[in-house]
Amino acid sequence: MRLPAAVPSIAAPAARFPRSLESCGATRPVRSGTVGMNHEHGRADGDVGGDVGSLLGDYELGLAYDEMIAADASARPHYLPLHRRLAQTSADDFRRRKAMTDLSMRQDGVGFTVYRAEEGIERVWPMDPVPRIIPAAEWRRIEAGLIQRINALNLFLWDIYHEQHILRDGIVPARLVLQGGYFRREFVGVNVPRRIYIHICGTDLIRAADGEYLVLEDNARTPSGVSYMLQNRQVLKRVFPALFSDYDVLPNDDYPAALLDVLQYIAPESATQPTAVLLSPGMYNSAYFEHSFLAQRMGIELVEGRDLLVDGNRVFMRTTRGRQRVDVIYRRIDDDFLDPLTFRPDSALGVPGLVNAYRAGTVALANSIGTGIADDKGVYPFVPDMIRYYLQQDPLLNNVETFRPEIPAQRSHVLANLDRLVVKRVNESGGYGMLVGPASTREQREEFRREIEANPRDFIAQPTIQLSTHPTFVDGRLEGRHVDLRPFILCGERVSVTPGGLTRVALPKGSLVVNSSQGGGSKDTWVLAEGRS
Amino acid sequence: MLSRVADALFWMSRYLERADHLARAVDVTFHLDLDLHGVLANPVELEWNALLTLLRQPPPPVADGEHPVAAVQRWLLLDMANPGSVMSCVNRSRNNARSIRGSISPPMWRELNKLHWRLSDPSLRGRVAESPHDFCQETQLGVLLFHGVCESTLTHDEGWHFIQLGRHLERADKILRILDSKFSLLERGDGVDLPIRALQWGAVLKNCAAYEAYQRLYISRVEPERVVEFLLVNPDFPHSVRFCLTRIMQSLTAISGRLPERCDDEVVRTVGRLLNDLVYLDGTSLDGERLHAFLGDALARCARIGHHLHEQYALQ
Repeated sequence: MRLPAAVPSIAAPAARFPRSLESCGATRPVRSGTVGMNHEHGRADGDVGGDVGSLLGDYELGLAYDEMIAADASARPHYLPLHRRLAQTSADDFRRRKAMTDLSMRQDGVGFTVYRAEEGIERVWPMDPVPRIIPAAEWRRIEAGLIQRINALNLFLWDIYHEQHILRDGIVPARLVLQGGYFRREFVGVNVPRRIYIHICGTDLIRAADGEYLVLEDNARTPSGVSYMLQNRQVLKRVFPALFSDYDVLPNDDYPAALLDVLQYIAPESATQPTAVLLSPGMYNSAYFEHSFLAQRMGIELVEGRDLLVDGNRVFMRTTRGRQRVDVIYRRIDDDFLDPLTFRPDSALGVPGLVNAYRAGTVALANSIGTGIADDKGVYPFVPDMIRYYLQQDPLLNNVETFRPEIPAQRSHVLANLDRLVVKRVNESGGYGMLVGPASTREQREEFRREIEANPRDFIAQPTIQLSTHPTFVDGRLEGRHVDLRPFILCGERVSVTPGGLTRVALPKGSLVVNSSQGGGSKDTWVLAEGRS
Repeated sequence: MLSRVADALFWMSRYLERADHLARAVDVTFHLDLDLHGVLANPVELEWNALLTLLRQPPPPVADGEHPVAAVQRWLLLDMANPGSVMSCVNRSRNNARSIRGSISPPMWRELNKLHWRLSDPSLRGRVAESPHDFCQETQLGVLLFHGVCESTLTHDEGWHFIQLGRHLERADKILRILDSKFSLLERGDGVDLPIRALQWGAVLKNCAAYEAYQRLYISRVEPERVVEFLLVNPDFPHSVRFCLTRIMQSLTAISGRLPERCDDEVVRTVGRLLNDLVYLDGTSLDGERLHAFLGDALARCARIGHHLHEQYALQ
């Protein structure tokens, strides 16, 4: 266990991190030699106060790793052509392209809905037109690490729902799994199709100050974001095609087809022409755009719970010509709401009897039931151990350093450094019940101290890590903003990772909150073809 | 196809047709009002209230200092508190479309979405107080674009036919209502000059986008009996009741996958009988009272068609 550095760098949890950490460390301006003098668009740029064309002038580097600009203020090699292109672009021109981006998103209805009282407030999906670029070699390592990780997680899930070797061998504490809120004891001994539990995974990666990619969390239930990844590419091609001419960017458009392959692969063997559907909570769900987008791109029906019924352990949908058999369900509803007969009885979103049909093997679900235990925060620190245990390999991607107060030595360290750490509750997700040390009040820290002392098993703690920054268009110029990366992994006949992923951006200066519902933006994410990077 | 999807397609289309008709009616009434202003004692009373009666709407609330006509226009076009306003209808249509986005083509969704945003534009809405014309034009144009895109980007399968059903059933219903309300109104206006009557009956035609088509066919002054005949039984004009019912019948047989004479369900029976009554209608026999009875009966039968459709296809 490494001890924290003398000066803890700030802030880890990519998602939902309050924006109170702006002052960590000095910043210094970078004057970039290639930037600045192109005036071909000519118009004065009154309201931003910068020279026309100096999009990247006075770019400030912080303590964090910057994706484009190295510590010596030069552009990193794989960013050079983009850097040059941006230097030739005036702020006015760029502002126009940003406006085109927003208009495209709005007209395509790409967005999410925040419902307040009666009125639905539709927010347009925000994309920054400066792409994030990942060189081929770097991507190869990320890809291999992600594949290794999902393989280990699937082996882990099969194991804990069957013989539980890993618990008996003491690699992962049995209590942590068996008493975990997301462990579905109803599914012990159930054989899921092709032994795959997690078919679709969206893993959040962040970059530490030295540029190392770290896994912040595995989203193994119903991860979203992939439609925005695809839409970002479509829109950027429309509004800034010239950027693409400088690079060989790997396409990401195959994702829906690859997902359909996975769904058909796990169909019950009796189904020769399997019918797959996407089960959505409906149009009021914040990810509804994604549900309809994926259903359309795969050509499958988007259904809601009320469209399905279970009869004789088989699942049907209600159509204008009567019942039609359903073989595979890509469900975008959490376990808890899937079937009111098995889980939450008050769920109006689910389908009564669905779980029994699944258990009987007449219908396949993606993801399977009970995957939540694999991305539980209490289990997270053990994923590297799982990789060693099941695969006899060293992890290719490291976790963020994590302390478990359950262990006395680590507990005293956590309690002594509450003002520097992020403390998370296990069994919780969505950023609830967290203490962000550097942003916390004395009262909050005392409350957590009491709770940690009373129930040390219920918590983990991590040093706050500065996310990497990326030039982002703000107020007429490019400034560094913190970003994370969510690649999407599919597990069917083989494991595949779509090149790139969704890069989320925390738009307020210094903020580490990349959540779109809290003012986060996004970027198109490029993986370069071999030989160009 | 999912029953829920069929239902949403039907209503998406129906609400859009409703918005189209209302926008046209407001535009036509606005211009008729300008024409009759100096001629009739109280055109406001006559025309705008007739429109409200046709829509079965009470007079809207009038804000302080607001002209009653401006209040009616705002209420019919913009007001979300009025579930039948153009804005409400477009919104409902879009919500239906959104709930089944995967089942319509992306360009259809884009057109509907663009229409919604255009009609939400503050400057366009601000101009309604002076003249509703631009707003009404935008609405009608958006509806036409939507159907144009639908025609050439959506497979003409079951879903497309549910869209046609919604559109033509709503249109038939609106034509019948327009005829019914105007006929009783104009029957009473005995003392009115011939040119004025022509203007008013011309407005009826314009309400159904039929003015030029009528002229072209009859090459004569606008005569009430001919207007009625044209809008009820012309087989080729898209805004005649008979044309709409023919389309409805075609879509019903396409959906059921059977020949018309082999269809024995309630929907097809109801449509078929009404269609026959129209085909063999003796126009000369319909004086005021009998015409009123006929139109009322036809409206009730259209309502039954909608009802049977929902039962037959488990629409919600």
